[in-house]
Amino acid sequence: MEEMIRILLVDDEDSFRGTVSKRLSRRSIDVLTAADGREALELLDRDPVEVVVTDVKMPGMDGIELLRQIKENYPDIEVILLTGHVAASDGVEGIKGGAFDYLTKPVELEHLVSKIRQAGEKIRWRRDQRKEAEFRKRMEQQMMITERLAALGTMATGVAHEINNPLAIIRESAGWMRLILGKEEMAAVPRRSDLELALNKIEIGVERAKRITHQLLGFVQKDDALSAEVDLPMLIEESLGMVKREAVHKGIEIVRDIQPLEKPVYSDPYQIRQVLLNLITNAVHATGGGGRITVVLKSVQGGVLIQIRDTGEGIPPEHMRKIFEPFFTTKCPGKGTGLGLFVTRGIIDRLGGTIEAESRPGEGSVFTVTLPRRHEIRKNDIASELNTC
Amino acid sequence: MVKIPTRILLVDDEVDFVEMLSMRLQEAGEKVTPAYNGEECLKLLEKQKDHIDVVILDIRMPGMDGIEVLREIKNRFPLIEVIMLTGHGTTESAVEGMKLGAFDYLLKPADFDELAQKLEGARERKDEQEARIRKAESRLLVRRTGGA
Repeated sequence: MEEMIRILLVDDEDSFRGTVSKRLSRRSIDVLTAADGREALELLDRDPVEVVVTDVKMPGMDGIELLRQIKENYPDIEVILLTGHVAASDGVEGIKGGAFDYLTKPVELEHLVSKIRQAGEKIRWRRDQRKEAEFRKRMEQQMMITERLAALGTMATGVAHEINNPLAIIRESAGWMRLILGKEEMAAVPRRSDLELALNKIEIGVERAKRITHQLLGFVQKDDALSAEVDLPMLIEESLGMVKREAVHKGIEIVRDIQPLEKPVYSDPYQIRQVLLNLITNAVHATGGGGRITVVLKSVQGGVLIQIRDTGEGIPPEHMRKIFEPFFTTKCPGKGTGLGLFVTRGIIDRLGGTIEAESRPGEGSVFTVTLPRRHEIRKNDIASELNTC
Repeated sequence: MVKIPTRILLVDDEVDFVEMLSMRLQEAGEKVTPAYNGEECLKLLEKQKDHIDVVILDIRMPGMDGIEVLREIKNRFPLIEVIMLTGHGTTESAVEGMKLGAFDYLLKPADFDELAQKLEGARERKDEQEARIRKAESRLLVRRTGGA
């Protein structure tokens, strides 16, 4: 069966419009009609079509002018011009102006139908090309991000290791000084409180640096992780329980949309718990008083989908590209390490899943995680399934 | 009650770390012998095996790495307990160490109290093991003398 195509027929002759539209409708062509250029443009504003078939000679705005305006405002629409016998030059001018083709009146219906179909084909081909280019661009961007993150990850974890050793020296030295200060013979040491204050600051600083390095090390933890049947609803409850106090304090409503899973999931419960906790904590931090966080769990082909939606402040578009990078944070210094999403993504990659973020500033964010039912299931399979959901 | 010091062999190529941690541990009443690489550690154990309870062992060291050293220790001195210390990016080697018989592992920079707790645990395990062996040996001895 031929694909339905929607056109706009523009002609100032009522009888021509009537006859042609009736006959085209019988050929799986959905026809709108307009008596002149102005009416045609008004219609296009309200009702999109794929092809415009227009007479050239019309009172008021002629077909060539209509073509120009259509090409300017609706570049995807193809235009077929209908010219009189003696006005083939109009057709040529039309082609130069971007018309798909021109036909000479009186028009043979089969010829017109075939031209409309060809124009429809061209539109569809162009749409496919564009989709493919967008897909390719998205894939390339994805690959670039993955490679970049991998490189950053390797470097960052190398640095973390190198920093842990001097950190250990600083911590032991500070501990030693504290021990000495605590001795009886040091009881009368001058400016004792200043020394203790400085030691406190050293210890807090070491703890802060340690939090960063240890979180980074979490990013590269071995991937022969545990694989056990995972009770996802329970893990979600546990993670929600850990942020409950803060959520209640801020007056955030927690909504659960937990559907029974069709099949069990085998993965690493500890790592999944870390992912859930990171995402839910971020949502709580981003959501203001009276906001809402929704946690969704459902089966998809080949695995499960977990979604954390919040009605928080959202992420500005210029930050979206960076949110999975290490050390990217909008929190105050010392409050966030900028590693939560970086580590989360690392874990999900290792578990064979995917993570995607969508956000609208002022409206909130959505983080969608997919996990395979088992590690062997490729993440692309789930990703393609998601696109069809 | 007088604390019986745990006899520790502290092995790490970071000289400053060894120096500071030794001082802290000694201040806490332990007895510490330093070593700066795997080979030195094994040589010292060969000479003083009856005077060491626990080895604190860095995993990443030039030359023989901590895992190799651990394997040797568990082969040659099975009663000596080992606590692995790692600043390394993955806990993989630490977990491997546990499989090879290490008592536990800690990620640098470690919390001193946590280290102290683990040292105590390691020391207890070694004491229990030794007591069990002594008991078994004396039973054997009784049986032999009884049979003579």
